[in-house]
Amino acid sequence: MPDGVATGENVEGERPEDEPRADRDAVTEHDEDVQLERTIGLVGGLAIGVGTMIGAGIFVFPGLAAANAGPAAAISFAVGGVIALLVALPTAELATAMPRSGGGYYFISRCLGTAGGAIVGLGLWLGLVFASAFYLVGLGHYVTAVLAEVGVTLPVSPVIPVGLVFAVLLTALSILGTENTAALQNVIVGLLLLILGLFLTFGVLDALGVFGRATAPQQLFPRGYFPVLSTAALVFTSYLGFAQVATVAGEIKRPARNLPQAMVGSVVLVTVFYVVTIFVATSSFGADKLGTFGETAMVEVARNLLGLPGAVAILLAGLLATFSSANASILSASRSVYALSRDALLPRRASRVNLRWGTPHVALLAAGGPIVVLVATGQVEVLAEVASFLHLVMYGLICIALLAVRRRDPGWYDPSFRTPGSPVLPAVGALASFALIAFMRGASIAIGVIIMVLSYVWYRYYAGTVRLRGEV
Amino acid sequence: MPERPAVLVPVRVLAGESIPEGVPELLAHAHVVLLGVHVIPEQTAPGQARMQFEERGNRKLDEYEAVFEDAGATVERRLVFTHEAQQTVDRMIYEHDCLAVLVPNATSAPEEVLVPVRGTVGIDRLATVVAGLFGPTDAAVTLYHVVGPEETDEDVTVLLEGLSDRLTEAGLPADRIHTATASPEDTVDAIAAMAEDFDAVVMGETDPSLTTYLFGMPADAVADQFLGPVLVVQRERPDDAETAPE
Repeated sequence: MPDGVATGENVEGERPEDEPRADRDAVTEHDEDVQLERTIGLVGGLAIGVGTMIGAGIFVFPGLAAANAGPAAAISFAVGGVIALLVALPTAELATAMPRSGGGYYFISRCLGTAGGAIVGLGLWLGLVFASAFYLVGLGHYVTAVLAEVGVTLPVSPVIPVGLVFAVLLTALSILGTENTAALQNVIVGLLLLILGLFLTFGVLDALGVFGRATAPQQLFPRGYFPVLSTAALVFTSYLGFAQVATVAGEIKRPARNLPQAMVGSVVLVTVFYVVTIFVATSSFGADKLGTFGETAMVEVARNLLGLPGAVAILLAGLLATFSSANASILSASRSVYALSRDALLPRRASRVNLRWGTPHVALLAAGGPIVVLVATGQVEVLAEVASFLHLVMYGLICIALLAVRRRDPGWYDPSFRTPGSPVLPAVGALASFALIAFMRGASIAIGVIIMVLSYVWYRYYAGTVRLRGEV
Repeated sequence: MPERPAVLVPVRVLAGESIPEGVPELLAHAHVVLLGVHVIPEQTAPGQARMQFEERGNRKLDEYEAVFEDAGATVERRLVFTHEAQQTVDRMIYEHDCLAVLVPNATSAPEEVLVPVRGTVGIDRLATVVAGLFGPTDAAVTLYHVVGPEETDEDVTVLLEGLSDRLTEAGLPADRIHTATASPEDTVDAIAAMAEDFDAVVMGETDPSLTTYLFGMPADAVADQFLGPVLVVQRERPDDAETAPE
């Protein structure tokens, strides 16, 4: 655990909280016999990772990605998966050494300094806000598709209104709901994987000609190689979930074992699902036609393969998946706000727990409020890219943090999981993360850079004297 | 002087629960493991609740710790923030080798204690708790067995006398031990009805099975009907069990 004493205070005179005394398998211990129970097991951790990721990659992106890169979109997803894995390994190592809430923010603030941590922490919060808005717009598309399926026609597109309604609903539910929904989340993710597993198995057999139907013949790289990488940048939003596992690292049981397995496992699992999905989707229709179906392209793929029941199953799965992704992101965003407020980089009152409901209403509103605004823009691709941008900056810095802390090797640094291939693989991970940013559209990069600059200005103004523990 | 049996006393300190009257006297000869537990919804990080509630929780625990110590118990305490109360209770039982868990309800100073006995399983632990807590007091202990259809009188006598002997060996005088039997339909109802004339109940935990999964633990059912305190003697935990399963 990072040693040394946190110093300084923010403009309100609040100081960073003291670090816990010890991390054990089942609890985090503070002084005076005060303990924090760890209650999330391996299945719960995987459900957070997979549940956050799978909504976007399968149910929103296939059409968009195929339109950009053709059948090579499958390669775009594979590239994204490899980069995610290169980052997931260092993240897992850091998380086993520092199993605390806040994930990437915590590692970077302790290994690279408070300023970098503040930029990443505020970026993580807003990155999750952008990601959640993106999932909700995706959800809006699915509800619209359901309405179209049952023959309801509306004078205006219901995509954005539906997204807004669900943004408000989810925020309200997370503030007022005291029912334990973690078990429900596990069931939803299990159900999704089952539906997708069956569907994809059938799709692969069909694509290989087992059922004797013709597949759409096509060129792998109809638009050359560049779109493969720019599409990888776009769809990288499908790989943000493993970092969400790290944001609840403080609540994971047996962190030494469960954190690496949940992070690496969820990345590998979704990568396989994504690549197979794109393969099936492009084989079924051809990339050009697939591209014209937009966000709900998978519904048409299912209809083509399995008729109406297939379409209904995928519609249902799409609703569940985008909903659970948005929900998981709101909760993670609220955890990020808590982590920043604990370290006096945001006001302490931002993580206040409501006395009536026991929920952090301020932090949840700090997630839900901006999400509503962003959903209103309806810009699926920009929302996705800004979310990816902010996460990619964090991912690159996580890799650098790993290299820095290993080089310095402070006494408290004792990870139980060690990244293979260091320093080469983490360095490649950092370079790849930053390089992917270069393939995004200008608007997304500009928004991301502005958020980072504002984060730094906030830090200098609000908490410029705060120096967190572990720094040298 | 027998060793003090460790008894876990879980209290939801921040939900207004307190130590009911009579409980400190009941546990005067126990080693009390005082667990202040605060259950939070999953939207809230345990550390987040700690920042806000640690001070208040500790103040309450200070108060309760003093009450138990004044009554004569030795006390160890923890304040735990958790999403799952049951997991925390199980972990505390394991980590602190607790023989029994208290379901706290108000009572008067214990004079009459009911000890329902199911069978020979776990009888050593039951004897340790009963003799440890009530040996040094003046309380009378009634061993109560609900006779099953396939049990002979001889079986019952062997069971109750066996326990009686163990209690006497462990320091509870024989003249304060009584026995009673009955053969009604419903065990839980019979125990709860019988308990009305007693100040406290000490009974064994049932092994988890489909029945306990569907209908809950008999000890919990008794505690719901009987308005006094129930001490639930825990099954033996295997030594190599994980503190946090999975």
